[in-house]
Amino acid sequence: MKNNSAWFKIAGAACLEVVWVIGLKHASVPWEWLITGLALLVSFYTIIAASRKLPVGTVYSVFVGLGTAGTVLADMLWFGEPFRLIKLVLILVLLAGVIGLKLVTGNFHSKEVS
Amino acid sequence: MDWLMLFAAGCCEMLGVAMLGKLQRDRTWQTFCLFLLGFGGSLLLLSQAMKTLPMGTAYAVWTGIGASGGAVLGMLLYGEGRELRRIICIVMILGAAVGLKLLG
Repeated sequence: MKNNSAWFKIAGAACLEVVWVIGLKHASVPWEWLITGLALLVSFYTIIAASRKLPVGTVYSVFVGLGTAGTVLADMLWFGEPFRLIKLVLILVLLAGVIGLKLVTGNFHSKEVS
Repeated sequence: MDWLMLFAAGCCEMLGVAMLGKLQRDRTWQTFCLFLLGFGGSLLLLSQAMKTLPMGTAYAVWTGIGASGGAVLGMLLYGEGRELRRIICIVMILGAAVGLKLLG
């Protein structure tokens, strides 16, 4: 499964997305903005790298989806957003979609011409 | 006007995703500039639209247009899989993401 590294890259990019989304919302001093900017650059660099191996539609939807789930979790865990069952259900649906997509993509025959 | 800006932000995001795919075949600075223009313009227009629209609504519509449009473009332009199972998974991911943004 040589595509596994690409899936890890998307997961890493999504974690960094959580960092820069939080940064855009809460950063106030220069070093916080520096971290936000770095996270933004590295996360986009990482999805460029991941889409070398995986279809771009897959890469981008998983990146957006995991980033959203992570941001919602971070808001509930650290920024005092109230826990709501519906949010957890949606996160589970989202993760099921990601896992399903990973299983389906195992059979994906890339039509890439290099 | 704010809705128009939001729609344009979604379109810019689609451009960004399309260029993300294109970057894999031609690594030219033109493609890279369009990639930056797509995502940069998208975030800029989104933040403008959010000045008048509620944040959750704006985020949800933006994600919906950009990410699903990006997936469709991938199928049309780069021959990415159109199997039903793949489409269902993408719809699950994006549907849940849009729902979370609406709730946020």
